[in-house]
Amino acid sequence: MIEHKPLYQAMITAVSQTLENMVFMEVMEHFDRTYEIPAEELVWTSLLINDPVQGEIRLAMSNNLLKKLTGNVFGIDPEDITQPQMDDILNELLNTIVGLFLTNLLADNQEYKMGLPELGEEPLPEVDADTIVWKLMTSDEDPLQIYASGASIVALNDNNNN
Amino acid sequence: MKRIIIADDSTTARMFIKRCLQIIGLGDVEIIEAEHGKEALTAAKAQEVDLLLTDLNMPVMDGETLIKWVKASPKLGDLPVVVITSAGNPAKEAQLLELGAHRVLNKPVSPPMMMDALADFLDD
Repeated sequence: MIEHKPLYQAMITAVSQTLENMVFMEVMEHFDRTYEIPAEELVWTSLLINDPVQGEIRLAMSNNLLKKLTGNVFGIDPEDITQPQMDDILNELLNTIVGLFLTNLLADNQEYKMGLPELGEEPLPEVDADTIVWKLMTSDEDPLQIYASGASIVALNDNNNN
Repeated sequence: MKRIIIADDSTTARMFIKRCLQIIGLGDVEIIEAEHGKEALTAAKAQEVDLLLTDLNMPVMDGETLIKWVKASPKLGDLPVVVITSAGNPAKEAQLLELGAHRVLNKPVSPPMMMDALADFLDD
């Protein structure tokens, strides 16, 4: 039995802390829980959690939002932004979010192990019963979505918020 | 001029760390960027270095292995090492301090966190 705090809120806090600190944007829950980012605009990255639970966290957003975040972080004009800069920001955002999520979720003495982020090349996997989805948006109403997949992660979701 | 190595596989993370260093008054130090522990170790052996800032999760050589190599080296054993990671928690922090890390900071790092962690270094 893993000692933990509320999972859904742990992720919301992690995303808020990360975006406020790294890209100076506020994040809130999306007003439309049925909203999906159009597939042709979507970019995503994923990272494995290996211990003490096993699962995968994916961060998805529109290419436009990623470009906006990259411009904010690097302080450059949109036309000067490169694909490697955008890829790196997306990966580093997820890396930081997952670290904070696990810190917020698990008890202080609980160690965790996570892998390295990997950009998604294929369409985003289908949401199944072992996936929790967080539908969020920035203060500019740009949507971003987080997915946590894996039976042992979903088992920690006491409140069934998804 | 002081010399600092920043080891992180993310360009974004290295840029954030550099920005924090500038904000806390370390804008005029020489920064050496490394994409993984092995590159950082090679750079540290090649020249006099005053501080090593390192991530944990990196390809080729991770931060924990880097700290072990640094602390086992007669030349680098006294080099202060500050870990900046998204994979830190109190249990991990204790383990890293035991290995010889000077401080452990959690991402996202901020100027006040950096200022506090590098207070000794800034005093010199």
